[in-house]
Amino acid sequence: MTASASEAPFPLPVADADTQPFWDATVQRRLVAQHCAACGKWIWQPKPVCPRCHALDVPWEEVHGDGTVASWTVIRPPVLPAFQPSVPFVIMLVALDDAPGVRMVGQLVDEQGALLVTDGVAEGLAMGASLGLRWREQGEVILPAWQLVPPADAPRS
Amino acid sequence: MTRAVPKHRQPVVVGIHALPYSKDMRMTERRSGALAILGALADAGLTPTDVDGLVRYGWEKTTEMEMTRNLGVPNLRVFGDVDFGGGAGPVVLGHACEAIELDHADVVVAWRARNRSSGGRPWAGQLLAEGQDQFERPQGLIRPSDGMALHARYWMHRYGWKSEDFGLVAVTQREHAHRNPMALMQQPMTIDDYLAARMISDPLRLFDCCLETDGALAMVVTSAARAADLDVAPVYVTGYAMGSGPDPYGMTFFYGDELGVTPAKYVAPELWRNAGLSPADIDVCQFYDAFTPQIPICFQEFGFCAEGDAPAYMRSGDAPLYNTSGGGLSEAYVHGFNILVEGVRQIRGTSTTQVDGARHCLATGGNVVPTGALVFSKEPW
Repeated sequence: MTASASEAPFPLPVADADTQPFWDATVQRRLVAQHCAACGKWIWQPKPVCPRCHALDVPWEEVHGDGTVASWTVIRPPVLPAFQPSVPFVIMLVALDDAPGVRMVGQLVDEQGALLVTDGVAEGLAMGASLGLRWREQGEVILPAWQLVPPADAPRS
Repeated sequence: MTRAVPKHRQPVVVGIHALPYSKDMRMTERRSGALAILGALADAGLTPTDVDGLVRYGWEKTTEMEMTRNLGVPNLRVFGDVDFGGGAGPVVLGHACEAIELDHADVVVAWRARNRSSGGRPWAGQLLAEGQDQFERPQGLIRPSDGMALHARYWMHRYGWKSEDFGLVAVTQREHAHRNPMALMQQPMTIDDYLAARMISDPLRLFDCCLETDGALAMVVTSAARAADLDVAPVYVTGYAMGSGPDPYGMTFFYGDELGVTPAKYVAPELWRNAGLSPADIDVCQFYDAFTPQIPICFQEFGFCAEGDAPAYMRSGDAPLYNTSGGGLSEAYVHGFNILVEGVRQIRGTSTTQVDGARHCLATGGNVVPTGALVFSKEPW
């Protein structure tokens, strides 16, 4: 079961010059994070300089985006009106496989990237479970989201 | 311990006041804040003409400037505000203490007035997500409970904590509230009641979450020298500290290298060093409690027990009483300021769940944002 569309407004990301590359990449359904060329640190959330070695320019790098569940919660009422048709749904803290130390927030979706109306039990949601990157459209915004996948053959997005 | 600050400049709390809590106070926060300050000054035997310092939470709508003109304060020698929501309480008091110690001010007032019930939920109107929020709110991670839930799930996984451990906090504080006529939640609650309540942000249930309250409180801090001239029982601030920890975020403190740690872990060693005390000296605790998991994590991060052992420690009988007014869960939620005021009451000996002969009370701020803590004490340095 997937969520139906809602007329109420969703929260909109307000990008600035330091975060625009992330949102530009999402339009192409590419997941990027900052990866310091000088010291090798993966940086999340975006920062104006490398917080470890203080390199002044920190390049953005595409990641395949698969990962594991570092934590999760199930969102239930009261919620913003825009999310009301979707409850309950799962929000996860996702540890990315190929960007060590990076943990992003995203929703639990199906193969097509549609938000699942679920508490995660039927899907077998658990700490450390394997996740595949998907993309979810929410109004005009395209957001990274994740699907539970078998650990052995986690598909690459 | 040797201190750089002379004994006569030790900070002392000489006035506290809380307006009756309600779901709808029917007055502006400007007015309730003013009334709280006037009440705390009257409690100390002082008036606004004695005030030369005002400090506030950054989320307090009435600025120091406006409060100064509204109360007829002649001149502020010290003012300032501290951001980061519920982390600010002990931090603004810490700044008040610094001003007293440095002799930059003589009478500093901190206050919090908030119509968090009748004024609505702050998160309900925040549809433009800037800064850290742009990567969270569009995903549906919006309410404070949602961020806390991700921490709580992780702590349950890492330490083997159960829902009943969080329920212990809710039930214990409800018992405290039942003795406190000011507390909004008077009905008894059992662990079964707790477990039967609906989920809000799994694993957080309804009674893991604080109340939504209209309230206003204030506290007056002066020097030991000035306190000696007042007809009040002094409550000494033995120590205070603040801390951010690395890579801090508001509520979603889980992007950094150390998953599961909160800023309180960084506050604790500074507090014990500054106070010259250790957890063994503490008779009673007031932990900021927007959500139940904050109590066990504070017990261990402030060093009362080993990492992961907090629930067993809280059941052992060795743990000090905590949140004796009922706290944010069952007395009122006024951004943690009622927690701090209750700390002063414990040292005065006027709590409705009084710890006999309490000499030192620990009081903390919201721990998943940059935060602080203080120790209120019966005796001076």
